[in-house]
Amino acid sequence: MKLRLILLVVCIALLGALSVSAQDRTPIYVYTDSDTNISDFWTNTIIPAFEAEFPQYEVILTIVRGVGGGNADIANRALAAMTTGDDPQVDFFETMNTDAQQDWVDAELFLEVTEEMVPNLANVIPATNRLPQEMPYRGSQVLLAYNSDNVAAEDVPTTYAGLLEWIKNNPGQFVYNRPDKGGSGAAMVTRAIFEVTGQDPSKFVPGESDEALIAEFSKAWELLGSVHDSIYEGGAYPAGNTPVLELLANGSVSMITAWSDQGLQAYNLGVLPETTRFAQLQDLPFTGGYAFSAIPSNSTNQEGALALANFLLSAEMQQAIVETIGGFPSVSWEMLPAELQSQYTSVITDTVPTWPGGAYGAAMVEGWYNNVATNIDPSS
Amino acid sequence: MTAAAPSQSSPSWRKGIIAYLMVAPPLLLMILLIFIPALQSTARTLTIDVNGAPGFSISRYTAFFQDPISVSNLFFTFQVTLITLAAIFILCFPLAIYLRFANGKLAGAVQVLALFPLFVPGIILAYALIRFLGTRGTLDNVLSIIGFTGYRTPYLKPDAIIFGLVWESIPFTVLVLTAGLRQISDSLIESARDVGANSWQIFWRIILPQIARPVLIVFSLNFLGIFGSYTIPYLLGPAAPQMMGVFMQQTFGQYRRPDDAETQAVITFIICAFIGFLYVRTVANQRKREDSE
Repeated sequence: MKLRLILLVVCIALLGALSVSAQDRTPIYVYTDSDTNISDFWTNTIIPAFEAEFPQYEVILTIVRGVGGGNADIANRALAAMTTGDDPQVDFFETMNTDAQQDWVDAELFLEVTEEMVPNLANVIPATNRLPQEMPYRGSQVLLAYNSDNVAAEDVPTTYAGLLEWIKNNPGQFVYNRPDKGGSGAAMVTRAIFEVTGQDPSKFVPGESDEALIAEFSKAWELLGSVHDSIYEGGAYPAGNTPVLELLANGSVSMITAWSDQGLQAYNLGVLPETTRFAQLQDLPFTGGYAFSAIPSNSTNQEGALALANFLLSAEMQQAIVETIGGFPSVSWEMLPAELQSQYTSVITDTVPTWPGGAYGAAMVEGWYNNVATNIDPSS
Repeated sequence: MTAAAPSQSSPSWRKGIIAYLMVAPPLLLMILLIFIPALQSTARTLTIDVNGAPGFSISRYTAFFQDPISVSNLFFTFQVTLITLAAIFILCFPLAIYLRFANGKLAGAVQVLALFPLFVPGIILAYALIRFLGTRGTLDNVLSIIGFTGYRTPYLKPDAIIFGLVWESIPFTVLVLTAGLRQISDSLIESARDVGANSWQIFWRIILPQIARPVLIVFSLNFLGIFGSYTIPYLLGPAAPQMMGVFMQQTFGQYRRPDDAETQAVITFIICAFIGFLYVRTVANQRKREDSE
C-alpha cells in the first residue's frame, strides 16, 4: 500500500516536472520541405545554436518534404486557420514563395518584415530580389558538374551555345532533371529561355507576366529540343536533383547541371567521385536562387519567429551555410572570413540571375513538357 | 439480416438500430469526404459562367479529349494498368496455387518472400529499383560480369513503372488468391482425382470456377490502386507520356490550372468508380449467396 502511494506521488511529481519544463520554452513551429541536406542542417546546426542563444524558445521542426504539396499545403492550412481564426500551428516557413498563390497575397497571409523587426536584414544583398514578406537566408547557384576523367578541362563548355554543342557531340553523356522536379534541371531550361530573350534576366520581373516575352519561349524549346535525343538514354529526364547527381556519381553520364550546395556537399561526403569538377558558364551563369523564409501573419509566436529569422542572417549562421551545406550567403561575402571567400572563387560569380517563377514558371514548365520532353509531335 | 432470429433478451429492432449506429460513422465519412466533394467536383466541371449565371457545358471535357497530350496520358494509364494487371496474374497465379498445395519450409519461405513487398514503402522501393535497374546498377553489373553488355535500362521508361507496380502488388494478390484457393476443399479435388480427372481438368473444371470471385476482387482492387498510382510512375516513369496521377498533380501544381486538373480527376474518378462498382457487385453477390445458403 505504502509503495503504491509512493509510486503515485513520484508519477505525479514527474508529470508536473515535465509539464513545467515544456511550458518554460515557447515553441516555434518551423516547417520545411527542402532536401535532406537542408533539414539535416537545421536539425544539427541551426536549431542547437539558436536554442543555446535563446533558451526561452523551443524550435519544433516538421519535415514535409515529398508530402503532397509540402510547405504550400501548410500555408493553405494557415490560410484556412486564418479564415476561422484558429491557431495555424506554424510560425516559420523555412522556404516559401509568398506570392505563389493569389489567395495568400489577397489574404495577406504572410507578414511583411522590415529592418526594424529583423535588424540583420540590412546586410542582405540586393541581388536576392526579395519581396517584403520574404527573408532570403541561404543561396545556391546551379553549376555544371563533370567527371574530369571523361572531360578534359579545356573541353568544358564556357557558354550555353558551347554546352549544347558539347551535348550533341557526346550523346547520352549529359542529363538534367524535369524543370518542375528540381532547380538544377529548371536552370538548364531557364538558361535556354534567357539565351533566346537576349541574355537579359532583368526582363523577367517577379509578379509580372509579359505575354510577348512568354511567346518567345518557343525558341527555347527549339534549342532544348535540338539536344533532346542526345540526353541520357535518348531523352530520359529524371524526376529530381538527387537522381541526376546519382547518374553522375555512378558514371552513367559525364556532365550534369547541379546545385552548388548539393554538388559540393556530395563531393565532400565522397558521394561524387574525387574526379568531379565544377564549372560555371561565363557568358551568363545559370540561375541561382535564394531560399526565402516567411512568417505567417497569424503566427502565435511571431516574436520567436522574428528572433529566429534574425539569427539566420547573423554572420555566424551565414558562415555555417557556406561551410556546412555548400550554400551561398544571402549577405555580402565581405561579411565572411577572407579565407572562406578565396576558397570559393572558382564558382562565385558577380551575377546571380534569378528566375521569377509565378506565371513565367508555369509557362516554362508546361512549355517544356509539351514541346521538349513530349511523346506527341508538337507540330501535328 | 432478415434471417436473424429475434431473441428474447434483445429484440430485433434494437439489434437493427445498433447495426445502423455501427455503420453510421464510416458511412457519414464516406458521404461527407468522398461522395459530396466528388459530386461537387463533377458538377463544377459541367458548369460554365454565362454572363454571371451558371450554365451547363461539357466544354471542359471536349477540351480534354481534344488535347492530344491529355488523351495520350489517359491511354497510357490504361495501357500500363492493363499490362501490369496481366503481369500480376501471370506471376501470382502459379505462386498462389503453389502456396495452396505445397507444405514445408520452402513453401513458408516463398510465402514470406511474396509478402515482403507489403512492408516496403513505395518511395523506398522506387529508389531501390533505380539502383537495381539503372545504368551501372546492380542488374547491369551482374549482366556484364556474365558477359552480356547490351543492357538498356528501363529506368525513366514505361517498363520501369510496370516493374515497380507489379512488385508492389504481389503480396495483396497472392494473399487474396491463396485465401480463395483455400476455400476449395481437398476432398473435392481428391474425389475428382478418384474419378480420373487429370491436373488440367481439375484446374479448369474445379479450381477456376471456384475462384472467379477472388480473381475479380484482385482485378478490381489492383486496377484502382494502379490506375491512380503516383509515387512509382513519378519516380521511375518517363517525362512523357505520364500516368493520370502524375499528370493531375502537375496540371494542378505546376501548370496552375486547377480547372483542368479537376476535369482530369473526374474522368479518372468515373473510370475507377466503374471498376469499384464491379467490385461492390461481386462482394454483394457473394453476401447474397452466403445468406441464401
